[in-house]
This record gives sequence, structure tokens and C-alpha cells, in this order.
Amino acid sequence: MAAADNPSRERILARIRAAVQTTGAHHAGKVGQIFAPVTNPLERFQKECVANITECTVTSSTATSAAAIAGVLASLPPGEIFVQDSPDLRALVGGFKDGRPLRWSSAGPPNEASQATITLCELLVAQTGSVLVSAANGGRQATVVAPAHIVFAKLDQLVPDLETAMARIYERGIASKNSYVCLITGSSRTADIEKILIMGAHGPRRLIVVLQTG
Amino acid sequence: MSAASQEFLRQAAQKSADLVHRGIVRWNIDQYDTGVGKGKTRFADWESARQRCHDIKWEAVNHLDKYLLQFEQKVKENGGHVFWAETSEEARQYICEVAAHGHVKKVVKSKSMVSEEIHLAAALEKIGVEVVETDLGEFIVQLRNEPPYHIVTPAMHLNRQQVSDLFKEKLGSADTKDPQELVAIARRWLRKDFFSAEMGISGANFIVADAGMVTITTNEGNGRLSTSVPRIHVALTGIEKVIPRLQDLATLWPTLATAGTGQPLTCYNTLMGGARRGSEIDGPEEFHVVLVDNGRSQLLGNIEEREVLHCIRCGACINACPVFRNIGGHAYGVTYPGPIGSVLEPNLLGLKDYQHLSFASSLCGACTDVCPVHIELHHHLLHNRRNAIHQGTHSAAERIGMKIFRWMTMSAGRFSLFGSLGRTALRTIHGMGLAGTTFDPMHAWTKDREAPAIPRQSFRDLWRKQNGSR
Repeated sequence: MAAADNPSRERILARIRAAVQTTGAHHAGKVGQIFAPVTNPLERFQKECVANITECTVTSSTATSAAAIAGVLASLPPGEIFVQDSPDLRALVGGFKDGRPLRWSSAGPPNEASQATITLCELLVAQTGSVLVSAANGGRQATVVAPAHIVFAKLDQLVPDLETAMARIYERGIASKNSYVCLITGSSRTADIEKILIMGAHGPRRLIVVLQTG
Repeated sequence: MSAASQEFLRQAAQKSADLVHRGIVRWNIDQYDTGVGKGKTRFADWESARQRCHDIKWEAVNHLDKYLLQFEQKVKENGGHVFWAETSEEARQYICEVAAHGHVKKVVKSKSMVSEEIHLAAALEKIGVEVVETDLGEFIVQLRNEPPYHIVTPAMHLNRQQVSDLFKEKLGSADTKDPQELVAIARRWLRKDFFSAEMGISGANFIVADAGMVTITTNEGNGRLSTSVPRIHVALTGIEKVIPRLQDLATLWPTLATAGTGQPLTCYNTLMGGARRGSEIDGPEEFHVVLVDNGRSQLLGNIEEREVLHCIRCGACINACPVFRNIGGHAYGVTYPGPIGSVLEPNLLGLKDYQHLSFASSLCGACTDVCPVHIELHHHLLHNRRNAIHQGTHSAAERIGMKIFRWMTMSAGRFSLFGSLGRTALRTIHGMGLAGTTFDPMHAWTKDREAPAIPRQSFRDLWRKQNGSR
């Protein structure tokens, strides 16, 4: 937008510049260790998943991962499954023969009525049992629209804490390459009525992480 | 006394006598206290987290021009639009123009207190755009045609029966007291809106300078759907929400979540830096950020109160406030209730009409103790009081009364004499059975409360008797 369309911009900036000539009071204090270090990331991740109501299955091979995903799908009502189009997921679920229609992300965003979505992720964070996804993981809707979201991840994607996760975002340019990044911690919930925790408000009711160690 | 002040007193008196309301709010805040107590134990050192958050916000607010410009440049590089609005009117007008230009008929909104501050929904409705609130609490209060009751828990004042009755009346749903079913009703109802709206409007919990991204924090997923499905995304935020670095979120996100609800992290912490990129599968075609000033740069120039701009809107001070617990969120009559509002609103709306909010506090300091960014809230209430007095906006009767009081208390002899006279007069009046009536000088206090027995001797008399003179 041309400056002429937004004359307030200069007025606001002028007031800000005049104001910050003088520095405001600073509450002096020491910053020590904010969080205890995470010593065993895998164990911590699993523990946090239990606490935030993420279903985490640790697998050791492609075959066991495929079986874990098939097991989850078998528990869902009939209907279309949306899958991020990637070689890993082609290999894992491409061969499923349960008759469900699969929609690959290369064909566009998921249908609103999808029963589940299956995606990869950028990172897993042990400290909080979180999954970091970006637009590259099948798009923005892929990780929010269906009642169940299944994430396939490998052990080298697991980082110990949020500080490390943020450092990785810079190193790998995750925030500059994508218009959208989301740190997911547990499945959608609300406590807006009498502070009672209800799962599955607008996003997935179930978040399932299949974490392959081998 | 301003009209706003009279209305405040009326509402406060009414709400504090509403026992059902008090019960609901007490229940909510007890739940909150338990959650936060547990949440803080997950930190190795909560005080270090508070200090770090203070440091981050201090750095941002004291170099606001630098970080806002850095943010703006990044957003523009990624094809987004940034509009700076000096007033509510300007912000409303810009968003209405974007809506008209994009032939928008329906807007889905995720939670944004700034949108309440600038009265956005009414402006959009006026040009024929339907506005749907999608946060469950906001959806409920919108159906009731009410403003949010609390900045984090908009429908805190309602119980499940009231929500059920509301849904039955407005949505035609079946009677149910099951909160799970009530949430499912709202989910089904709002789904069609997410997928038919042309525009999504969100707030921003932080705007990140070095990444050129806005971040929103939600539990329900409504914020994600609102910013993923519609053609246009407008992020509406105050200029003070900027933070320098993405790395800062490693502390800000968990601290905000714990102070706000007791959670280790809110379910969805989303970062958005623009419209859909060429290779991306979905996302909006347009991305607009509206930076609202609306009095904030003025506040920045007030060196004594500048740190009020550090606020991350977690709601902790509201939950801790004994005044809020008794009078509730609506009695304040402003966008931001509780201690932060009582500090902020008189500065944004004018001390003349809103100074009463800064006086409606016992100055217990509970707000200052819980603030995760170390804002000295109760000190700022005092600053506002002093400034209001200096502006001379209070009545002549009050000015003269305070002058007389000052004269009476400035010498030990006068203090003793008038104290003794006052006790004798009160004892006589209360002795005649007139306590609590209009003849009682303590009427304002005793009309709703039992008067304590007035002692014959003053504290100083008793002290002298027990400890000898001096």
C-alpha cells in the first residue's frame, strides 16, 4: 500500500519515536533456569502425550508403523481419509485394502467430511508432548479439519524442548518457507462451559502420533 | 459523577447481591486457581519465567518503532498488507473496505478483544456482512447479544442450563444438560459457517518482528479454521503486541498458557506470515494485518504508565481480583474488565468519565503478584487516582470535604478531639437504634452490614493505659 493511503502510519510512528527517546522503568531481576532440562526425550514425550491426551504409539519398523495406522483407521467410521502426498506415506498407506477412499494432498485440500487425515510433521517436542506442523504437511486444513489426525514421525524429529524447537525453526527455515506453522499440543478442546473439559471442539477429537524408532 | 460511573455503581450493587452469579464465578475461579497452582509446578522457576517475559516485553515496548517496522517489512516481503490505524474508526473503515472489495457476505471471527474494543462486528453488519463468532464462549455471548464477560473465558458467568436454554431458543436444539452435547451442537452449527465464509478475522497474541508472523493461541481450533478456509484473512491487533524474536515464544507461549488457564501449553499455537504461497495446497488468497493504535502511542509517551503496554492479556489479574469476583465482568462497562482494564481504560477512554474504575479497588495488590510480566498494576491504579485529582474532575463538595479532613488530621490534638466527638456521636445514634438508617453518618456502610460496637476509648487511649505514656 502506498504511504498516501495510510497517512496515520507516519503519525503513529512519530509519536512512538518521540516517546521511546526516554527509556521506561525496567524491573530488574535474574533469569535462572526456567524449565528443568529434558534428560530422556522419548520417555518424556510419551509421558506428556498421556497428560495432554495424545495417543502415542512407538513403532520399530515401516511394517509396524503401517499396522499401527491401519489399526487406527479400523476404529473409525467409514468415510474418506486424507493423506499428505509424500513418499513415506505412499509407502505406508498406499497399499491399504480396506476399501476406504484415500484422497492425496496433491489433489487439493481435504473434504470437510473426511474421517481422518494422515500427515507428517516438522518436529516433535518432548518437553510438552507437542507436534510442530507447517503448511508443507498437506496444507493448513490437513491438520485441523477431520475428527482424527494421525501423524507419522521418526525419532530424529524429536527435540528435547521448546528452545531447541525454535532454534530448529530458524536453522531449517520452517517459518520462512511456509506461510503457516502450528505447534499442536493435544487434541482440540474447550472448557468454556463451567470449566468442564470437553474434547473435540472444532478441531480433531483424536490426535494420534505414530513414532517410528527404527 | 459521570454517567458511566453511576451505571457502574448500579450494576456493581446489583451483581454483588446476585448469589447465583457469585456461585458460578466462584466455581470458575476455584477451578482456575487449582489449574494454575498445578501448572506452575511444571516450571523449574516461575519467577525466572516472569522475569524473562518482562524482559522481552520491555525490550519490545521500549523499541516499538524498530520492531513494528521490521515486522511490517517482513510481512510485505511475503506479499501481505499492513495497515496502521490511529483510531477505532480507521480500523473499522479499512476492514469494511477489504470486505466490500472482496465481495464478502460472511465473516468468521476467532477471539479478538481488539475487535470488541473497536466495535468491529456492528460496523460490518451495517454494510450487510454477517459476522459469526466461532470461539464457543464468544458464540454463546453473541447469541445473547452481550459483550464478552471475561477476556479469556467470555461466557464464565453462565451455567450449562443457561447455555442449553439459549441453544434451544436460538438454534432450535434439543434440551440437554450434557456439556459434551452442547459443544457438539455448536460444532455442527459453526461448521457450515467456516466453510461458507469469505473472510476470517483473528486477533494476535503476539506479532513476531524477526519472522514477520502473527501468532494466535487457541484450544478449540476455531482460530485455525477461521484463518485456513476463507479467502481473506485479517489479523487485527494492538501495536503493543510485537515481540522481537521467534525464540521468545519458547518462554512466552508456556507462560501465557499457565497464567491464562493453568495448561502447560495451549493446544494450538499458530504462526501465520501471509497468504497461501505458490506451492501450498490451501490458505487465504489475501493476508492483512491491522495495527491499532487507539491511544496506545499516547500511553507509551506516559513514562510512568508505559509498562501497562507489556500486558499479554492472560487474564490472571482478573481472576485474582476480589472486586471482579464480586461484581463480575459486565459491571465494568468497558472492553477490558478487572485490574488491567481499571488501569488501561481510564487512559484510553479518558480519566474524566472512567476514573471511577481506578478507585474501585481495595489496592490489595493481588493483581500485581500474579502478573506474568510484572506490571505493577495497583501502583498504576494509584497513578490514575492522583492524575484524576490533579485534573480537578472531582466535585467541589469532595474537594472541600478532603480539605477539612486534612485539617482535622494534621495535628495530634485535633485528631484526638474529632475522633472523640465522632465516637460519642456515633455511639449515641447507634444507641438510639438508628444504625443503618439515613440518620446514621455511616449509612453507606451500615445499610447492608451490621454496625460494630463503637468503643469508648480510642486506640491511643488504650495504648497509653497499657504501655504508659509514649
